[in-house]
Amino acid sequence: MSTLNDYPGRAPASREKRLDSVSAYLGEARALLKEYGGAEVDQRIRTFSQSAPDDLFVALEVLSGLRDTGVIIHGPRGCAASRLRQSLAEHAGPWLVTNLTQRETIMGADSKLRAAVAALYRRYRPKAIFIVATPPVAINNDDILSVVGELSEELGVVILPIFTSGFASKSSAQGYDAVFHSFIKYLPQPAAEARGEWINLLATTESEPDRREAQRLVAALGVDALTFPHGAAVEDFSRAATARLSLPLDFDAGHYLGEALQNLHCVPFLQVPRPIGLAGTRNWIAALGQALGKEAQARELHAKEAAAIAHVVEAAPLRGVRVYVSAAPATALGVLDLIQELGGEIAGLTVTHLDRLHLEAVAKYQERSPALQLHIGNGQGFEEINLLKRLQPQLYIGSGVHLVQAAQLGIPPVFLPRLPILGYAGIQAFAHETGKALRNQAFLSSLAARARLPYQEAWTRRSADWHIKQEVK
Amino acid sequence: MSTSYIERSRGSCALHGALATFGAIEGVVPVIHATSGCGVQYQQGVTQFGGAIPACAAWGNPLSSSNITEKHVVFGGGSRLREQLKNTIKLLQGDLYVVVTGCSTEMVGDDIPAMTKEGREQGWPVIYANTPGFRGSIHRGYELAVHALIEQLPGIPGPELPPEPGLVNLLGIIPQQDPFWQGHLLGLERIFEAAGLTANPLLGLGHGIDRWRRLPQAALTVVTSPWGRDGAQLLEEKYGTPWVELHGIPVGARATGALLDALAERLPVDAARLAAYRQTQESWFERNLVRIAPQYYAGGFQQEFALVGESGFVPGAAEFLVETLGLIPKLIVITDPLAEETRDAWAQPLQSLVDTFKAKLAFAEDAGEIDDLLRASHAELIIGSSLDRPVADELHASFLPVSFPVANRLVLNRGYAGYEGGLAFIEDLGSALLRGRSIKLI
Repeated sequence: MSTLNDYPGRAPASREKRLDSVSAYLGEARALLKEYGGAEVDQRIRTFSQSAPDDLFVALEVLSGLRDTGVIIHGPRGCAASRLRQSLAEHAGPWLVTNLTQRETIMGADSKLRAAVAALYRRYRPKAIFIVATPPVAINNDDILSVVGELSEELGVVILPIFTSGFASKSSAQGYDAVFHSFIKYLPQPAAEARGEWINLLATTESEPDRREAQRLVAALGVDALTFPHGAAVEDFSRAATARLSLPLDFDAGHYLGEALQNLHCVPFLQVPRPIGLAGTRNWIAALGQALGKEAQARELHAKEAAAIAHVVEAAPLRGVRVYVSAAPATALGVLDLIQELGGEIAGLTVTHLDRLHLEAVAKYQERSPALQLHIGNGQGFEEINLLKRLQPQLYIGSGVHLVQAAQLGIPPVFLPRLPILGYAGIQAFAHETGKALRNQAFLSSLAARARLPYQEAWTRRSADWHIKQEVK
Repeated sequence: MSTSYIERSRGSCALHGALATFGAIEGVVPVIHATSGCGVQYQQGVTQFGGAIPACAAWGNPLSSSNITEKHVVFGGGSRLREQLKNTIKLLQGDLYVVVTGCSTEMVGDDIPAMTKEGREQGWPVIYANTPGFRGSIHRGYELAVHALIEQLPGIPGPELPPEPGLVNLLGIIPQQDPFWQGHLLGLERIFEAAGLTANPLLGLGHGIDRWRRLPQAALTVVTSPWGRDGAQLLEEKYGTPWVELHGIPVGARATGALLDALAERLPVDAARLAAYRQTQESWFERNLVRIAPQYYAGGFQQEFALVGESGFVPGAAEFLVETLGLIPKLIVITDPLAEETRDAWAQPLQSLVDTFKAKLAFAEDAGEIDDLLRASHAELIIGSSLDRPVADELHASFLPVSFPVANRLVLNRGYAGYEGGLAFIEDLGSALLRGRSIKLI
């Protein structure tokens, strides 16, 4: 068992250091797997890049899901822009931006930060306040910790610093880790007490229908679940730390938390792939069943649920359709299975990043589709467009906003974050939505005929990996 | 300018204002020199809620961005920018490339003017704007973008453009921070056209950098918000172009008529043509007012209202609501961060309306403060941003979102400027008032 001393520093080490995370690659999956098997994984960089989510963006998404909490974004106004989206959705708590000026980025702004924390507390009395660091604050090293120390005592409220920077890692998944690092370090620790009967369902930024589906399946096995941290309050952390086990809905997001709960509080972490597709969902339920000694119930549950949607799968709605997938690895690799279960073929794959958590699934991809390359890039639409022009898929499943570019090539896109994707309900929704995209392509045709991609003609004649280079150390 | 903390800020930063402005000019390609998330925050937090999406900055087009990492923060990002700029020009089609900076690269001290100069020496059409978020709000970003174009575009070789007589530059409408920016520009264009003049809207559908190259040819600059002043002053300094300031866009027949009078005073217009146009438009406008009368009375249109929005819209809208539609003002909040002396100037034309109805006029951008003002107003109708909806629900008030951020509305060319704009405002307002009500017409 580890102790908090094993989690030194105010922020977690970068995903590159901890998990050999790679954010730029195009080539055979086999070659990259070989690097993971060897002494060192080479880091690549881009000589041309397009804007991509960072740790700050992801942290704001995760934090917006917690109940009875407030968020202070310590930075200039623009660092809080995406928080508006969560604000305009339901359930998001109050937030302030410290609105740093040039002078304050040089001289420091801790008095302003104090005033902001006090104002948020006075207005809304949240049970916890998160102070989220931004690139300018990370550069000038503003003293957030002393504000946290003083004000948590003075106001009697839990205040958590989240040390995001926008540049510490090239993987935005670092944002999950930064949030959870802060949880394990700064939230009240549970007193040594008996194990509870519940399990942790680790949920962060999933959609409401996805969470409901996962909760439904766990409940069907007769287990109580604490969904954490989404929809939970910070004091639920001590319950999470005494649960029977943790089961992630998305281990790209929940890995740091699950592992820390295991290391620090002996809560076993079931590191299973997302419950996407028939086999994926079966495995997810089976893993839980096995851990709880409910193997038979898990099998029965799957048999019953699978029978109820057998007609969807048997109709093979994607038969003969070549599909390109672009998403975070835990999602994308699950969706590949689902596409094949629905009769489709894989045309290509882009993942936002790759790290040690996905090697098994990537090996399976390589085995199944030996001729295909693996592309790693988050938000790098220019590379995807180049690949799409060559591969000519008939359907594009993507989670980035650049999916519109696929449409401009005449490839019908389906926006993944909009769909329920988990469990049996996810299979049905996926078949339904992809079916619509394929059935009427009238808008797509007019769009493809009218729209002009922003790229020079010369770019599409180049190799898509033209701007990916080995990093010079 | 407010430098306090802001709850639920309804205005993003200077970088995002520059991106919104450059993105609304066809053929202009911004090159962001910043951490990777700056561009994403713009797309997720501004583009989505700014109503009309500029064709060339639509979601589907990821932004060129140097995505600096820890190494560049420590050792400087100059060489990374050089590489990104060179490759952007090779990769993305454009008539003009603009380097815009985020906080991180400004703090590190990368020399952007020098980098841009290098590019110019290679013959690249490239300019720059120092736009770190800490320089101010999205409005400041608009000013910086306009300033950069006026100052630096003449240094980029371009075609000879034949003069356009009666050309009037329009400044002060900020793309997306005004969700109806495209419609407002189109509305103003129609008004100028009726007066025999040609508007130079500078931004929006079909307008590229040639519109900016024509700036020196204009006979007049018309400014519709305090954020257009800086550009108008610079044009006056450089080219002697006179400028006039409107207190926001004109909404409806009265304000539009007044604008036409002002134009006729300053510029040679075809008086007979103008008079005929005004008569047709005013009579059409009035006929439509008559058409809404049954719903106006039976549906209870005469509401006590609160109006929350920016200086480029609120004065014209308030005047229209009160003096044409007969609604009762309770609260008017101007939310863009104006300088102290500008506040006074913008309060002045609203003063008589405020005094007559004992309404309250406030300048605030903190959402908590605005919530409190709205609660205290007991307004029956709230016209504001989607951030104000929860309080409208709490007060059981009718609600119409018109100010940034606007969620759950799709806007293309809709706008509230001019005669047609006034009618569009009535339609939207009436629909908001009638939502969920059944009217008994006997």
